[in-house]
Amino acid sequence: MAAAPLELGRLAQEAAALAGAVRGCLGPRGGRALLALPTGAALLTRDGRRLLEALSLEPPTARMMVASACRHRGATGDGAKTFVVLLAAVLRGLRAALAGAGRRRRAARALRALEAPVLARAAAALRRHAAAAGGGAALEALLEAYLGGRAGPAERRPLARLCREYCERCAPCAAARAAALRLAGEHFAELHAAVAGPPLAASRVLAGLLLRRDFAAYCPARGEVAAVLVTQLLHAGLAAPGVELRVESEGQFQACRRWVARRTENVVRRLQSNNVRLLLSSVKQHEVVIYFAKLYGISVVECLSSEEIALLRKITGISPFTPSCDDVRREIAEITVATFCQPLLLGSQRYVHLGFTSTCAFQPHCLILCGPAHSVNEQHAAAFQGAFKMLEQLFKTVEQTEECEAEGESQNETSDICGWHSSTAQKQLPIENISCNGNQGSEHQLKTVRGEAETQVVESDLQRSENPACVQTDLQMSSSPVSPIKELSALPVRDSSSRDVHKLHPKWKHPDEVHKSCRSDLVVDNQKNSSTAVLAADNANTVVSEHLDVDKDTEKINRNIVLFKHGKSYTNSEQNYSNLIIEAGSVLPVGGNFEILLHYYIRHYAKQCQESIVADISNVIADALLSIPKTLYRTAEGNSFNKFYLKAIDALRKNEPLPMNQKGLESVYCKYQLVISVVNCITELLSIDLIIGVKRPLQKIEDNDSEDDF
Amino acid sequence: MSRVEAKKPSLYISEPLTKDIVHQSLSVLRGVLKSCYGPAGRLKQLHNGMGGYVCTTSRSSAVLRCLSVSHPVLKVLTASVQNHISRVSDCGLFTAILCCSLIENFKNINFLSCTVIKISKHLLSLCTDYLKSEACGCRVSVDFSNLETLFCLVRSILMSKPACMLSKTEIDHLTTLIVKAFLLTVPCHVETNAVLGKCIIVPVKGRRVVDSTVFPGLLLETPENQLAKPLSVKRTPSNIIKIALFCVSMSGDLFNPEEGSITVRHGISLEMSELDQLLNVGRQLVNDEIGLVVCQKVIHPSLKQYLKENHVVAVDRVGLSMMEPLSQMTGSKPIASIHSFSPSCYGSLKDVCTESFASKHFVHLIPNDTLVCSLMLCNRSETTWDELKCAYETAERVLQLTIKEPLALLGGGCTETHLASYIRHKSCNLSTSSFKAIDCSQTQYQLVADAFCRSLESVACSLNHDDGDIFTDVVYGHCWFVPSGFSSVSNWSDLVSKCGCGINDNTQNLNWRVLQSQFSSPVLQSCPKEPSVKATDFLTLDCFAAKCSGLQVAVETANLILDLSCIIEDQN
Repeated sequence: MAAAPLELGRLAQEAAALAGAVRGCLGPRGGRALLALPTGAALLTRDGRRLLEALSLEPPTARMMVASACRHRGATGDGAKTFVVLLAAVLRGLRAALAGAGRRRRAARALRALEAPVLARAAAALRRHAAAAGGGAALEALLEAYLGGRAGPAERRPLARLCREYCERCAPCAAARAAALRLAGEHFAELHAAVAGPPLAASRVLAGLLLRRDFAAYCPARGEVAAVLVTQLLHAGLAAPGVELRVESEGQFQACRRWVARRTENVVRRLQSNNVRLLLSSVKQHEVVIYFAKLYGISVVECLSSEEIALLRKITGISPFTPSCDDVRREIAEITVATFCQPLLLGSQRYVHLGFTSTCAFQPHCLILCGPAHSVNEQHAAAFQGAFKMLEQLFKTVEQTEECEAEGESQNETSDICGWHSSTAQKQLPIENISCNGNQGSEHQLKTVRGEAETQVVESDLQRSENPACVQTDLQMSSSPVSPIKELSALPVRDSSSRDVHKLHPKWKHPDEVHKSCRSDLVVDNQKNSSTAVLAADNANTVVSEHLDVDKDTEKINRNIVLFKHGKSYTNSEQNYSNLIIEAGSVLPVGGNFEILLHYYIRHYAKQCQESIVADISNVIADALLSIPKTLYRTAEGNSFNKFYLKAIDALRKNEPLPMNQKGLESVYCKYQLVISVVNCITELLSIDLIIGVKRPLQKIEDNDSEDDF
Repeated sequence: MSRVEAKKPSLYISEPLTKDIVHQSLSVLRGVLKSCYGPAGRLKQLHNGMGGYVCTTSRSSAVLRCLSVSHPVLKVLTASVQNHISRVSDCGLFTAILCCSLIENFKNINFLSCTVIKISKHLLSLCTDYLKSEACGCRVSVDFSNLETLFCLVRSILMSKPACMLSKTEIDHLTTLIVKAFLLTVPCHVETNAVLGKCIIVPVKGRRVVDSTVFPGLLLETPENQLAKPLSVKRTPSNIIKIALFCVSMSGDLFNPEEGSITVRHGISLEMSELDQLLNVGRQLVNDEIGLVVCQKVIHPSLKQYLKENHVVAVDRVGLSMMEPLSQMTGSKPIASIHSFSPSCYGSLKDVCTESFASKHFVHLIPNDTLVCSLMLCNRSETTWDELKCAYETAERVLQLTIKEPLALLGGGCTETHLASYIRHKSCNLSTSSFKAIDCSQTQYQLVADAFCRSLESVACSLNHDDGDIFTDVVYGHCWFVPSGFSSVSNWSDLVSKCGCGINDNTQNLNWRVLQSQFSSPVLQSCPKEPSVKATDFLTLDCFAAKCSGLQVAVETANLILDLSCIIEDQN
């Protein structure tokens, strides 16, 4: 057993080494990393998580840092490299500011106490600089900034355009975009085809699905084609495995053989009589089946992977067909219609190209990624998957803020008209109250950062629902009698199915009043059950936002969203969201704006702190934040960081809008989350005092720390 | 239980391109590839030193596959070149050499990599736009009604494969054959989406190249004694031959691995019963007036005998690869069940005869409508035959690409030098707004453009393996080869006779200058012109699609490698 005391200096060194490793790949001017795998393959990547994991480090504290960075990346789809750079800078600052173990423990305590008074207030102050993202242009700007950190300099723009096109075509209805993106992210391996060789410009979005194999039998058919899924063998042998066949005479044997062949023929004929022209099989079918299929004009695709079958089932909503000899006459129920079905040659690989009209939110489209080498395509595919993750989170909120802006003015007039006298609504009330109170509570005592952020979203939803155009379906949904709390928290989106129950309520009441009336009772309750509050808030959030979007679409309210409306968002937020920290879906231009703003405001609030150590540490964090823009600007000519910094600070003092020179956008929520994650990681690190090496393997107690439950 | 070993931490190398080892291995690779390039390329003998197969070649696909590159940076390069080759199968060496020179030249400028990448991307788009535009001075359009350009294309490919060891007459003979074989696979009646047929290669080694022939239809190899002589095939009243194609074994065995057990009573022979069934099939075939039975697998000798007695020709063991062309050619559907098959599966043939060459015997199936042909390819030795086969495959692919896009580029280094002079001209006359869009200064742009042009020119120079000089002219920007030691001669038009592609000759004074010399002053370049004389015979031509793709792949791969900021090597 070897025990070593944990030194801050060592931590700082380790973090600095990690930061040095990822710094080269950070930001739009960063390069790629080439990972030479033990198999001999070479992999290109700029993904921070991949890089950090590939380092396979030895020191336990460094491994802990990597794990935190990867956890953060898993949760938000972004920011592993920035995490490490910021962590290194904070640790370096702390080492200079603190000396001695006693102060270190106090620093850990101070870090815990830092969030509410300083960080949250700084972030809240920052809000007036942020703008709301909405519409295709903002989507592309977000994607461009995101892909700028993940693809080469010349590839960023075409990829962002491609990704935007893909998102918009897969989910033409913006309301269902979150669900569609989730599906696209999950099944991206099946939804893209990588072609090594042609230039990137040849990449495109293709309607329909691509299956990575050739037809076993292809019978050209024009127009729509009925298809079935099969997951078992259609041809059965003489005797099933484990079954014994007794042969009494030669004639009997031949009769059996003939019967077996006839049976297969009958199955195929039955498919044909149901107008099925395409058989999608997960298993390799016997050649007799292929023969009969060709004979009866049925195309066959076999050996589909289980993922492909799962995707097909999700899109078409059918279950596999099971052949049985008795019901030859009966109609096959599980038939879907493919709009087209044709072979496609990409590079030297043959594909089956199928068109489906989806029964779910996701309109099947696939992406053909072209690049000079496989490793590039893999890199791009991984970047796309990350982008879906990032957007999936943002999309819920993007739409909401869009409306916040447009409807801000009309709120005050409409709020008095609304009254709420619905008996069924009372059942639903606690959900909203808990969530709203969760937000109130978080103002004073930040327990779970996430809870806080999610609840804000709900709050903004409810506030927006004051617009009379939206309020009806919105409140109806939440007041629909079939959704008690428990069900809601268990099944996030399913509740939206209950929205057909449309009832008109004669009068509406301002939701804020409802909150106020219930707030006092539930404050205590909320603190106990903060986790349920979060869940409920989450659900309410998704459901509500979907409703809003449906509404918006049907009424065709055309809102052109200007990307940056500083003055307006400033007034809006002052009036309506005084208790919010970060507006949902708010974005800032990339290139260090967020860091400089947060730096400025943290310094500002640190001055008001009573405890000197909190103030000190706040200043350390504030200064460390600058390391990110410093790294971003390191490769540019001259002294551009200092110039940029001075200009920005000058603008802030004079209360002018910040100078902007870049087009990309980034989500404020993700960025703020990053700072919080780094602070949490450092708190964790500082709380350790001894590192003990043990000889036997440590037992893991539980393993539910996956990225999904964040 | 397996031994648990602690994972070793990875090795981190930052800024790999500044390391000497990368430059060394890159220049070694470039040297190897450069010496293979072109009609005068030097041959490489590839062997494993342990008595395995020895391959003599100058093909990029073989060289790149066999070289085991150790450095991960080079792996990226070779992988993308190999991808290119597998797609278009031509211009592999061009791509690889260009990519290596681009990396070296760009690295020497020592700018920030992302600036270089943006500029080179812009240069690439200039090149591709120019190549695709009507004004392009280095491309010719391919006229399919006049075979001369097709001959030029195929001849250039065969000439650039010195490992085939072909003489001039042999090249001419093969060129005609290859174009003929290709034209046989083009369907006569074109509907909306035409599908090209197939040409099957029949290998005959140890014969003269000029013995190679092309047959319409298919040649199926059979043992000598199997067929009756003279071959008499039953015909239907309408004078066609009906053919049945089986893809199931007709050997009468009962082996079915995945099934359950079968218990047989004493005295019953399942094999006999199977054979009876086979003979029933035979009877049905005879009744259906089948003239030819082809089976992918084995036919039972008794069935064969029965068919022979009834004047039905039976050919078995043709293999899976022949099934598709067979069913395409005859219009028959491969039958997979001997218990139930319908006459709708049968196909038809115009004629069947026998051929024999060099101790091999074939049944020659002649279809009504040719879409399938067989090319009997002969060469003296095993190695040269393999090379010839690859050359044929390249030529076939190039012709297929050309029929899609009927264009060809001037070969012999002329396209490269012409493009270089076009880029030089263009980069001087670029508007300031385009510099702004790329986010660079004019000087930066011109330095990168110069490196780009020098890389292109160095590919043209790689065609020259003896120490001679290479000139370029100022008017057309073509490439001219000159024997060494004459560069001090005052009248250069006496030295040069024809340019690399053969389209220009020395009749007009074209104001030559030495390519790639350090001392030549940067000439103020005018836009290179298109040659006025359009002599189309005996030109050296390159495939348009392959060369465009090669250019693109080379630039993109070079950008990729320049963009590397670190290498993380797993040490486990």
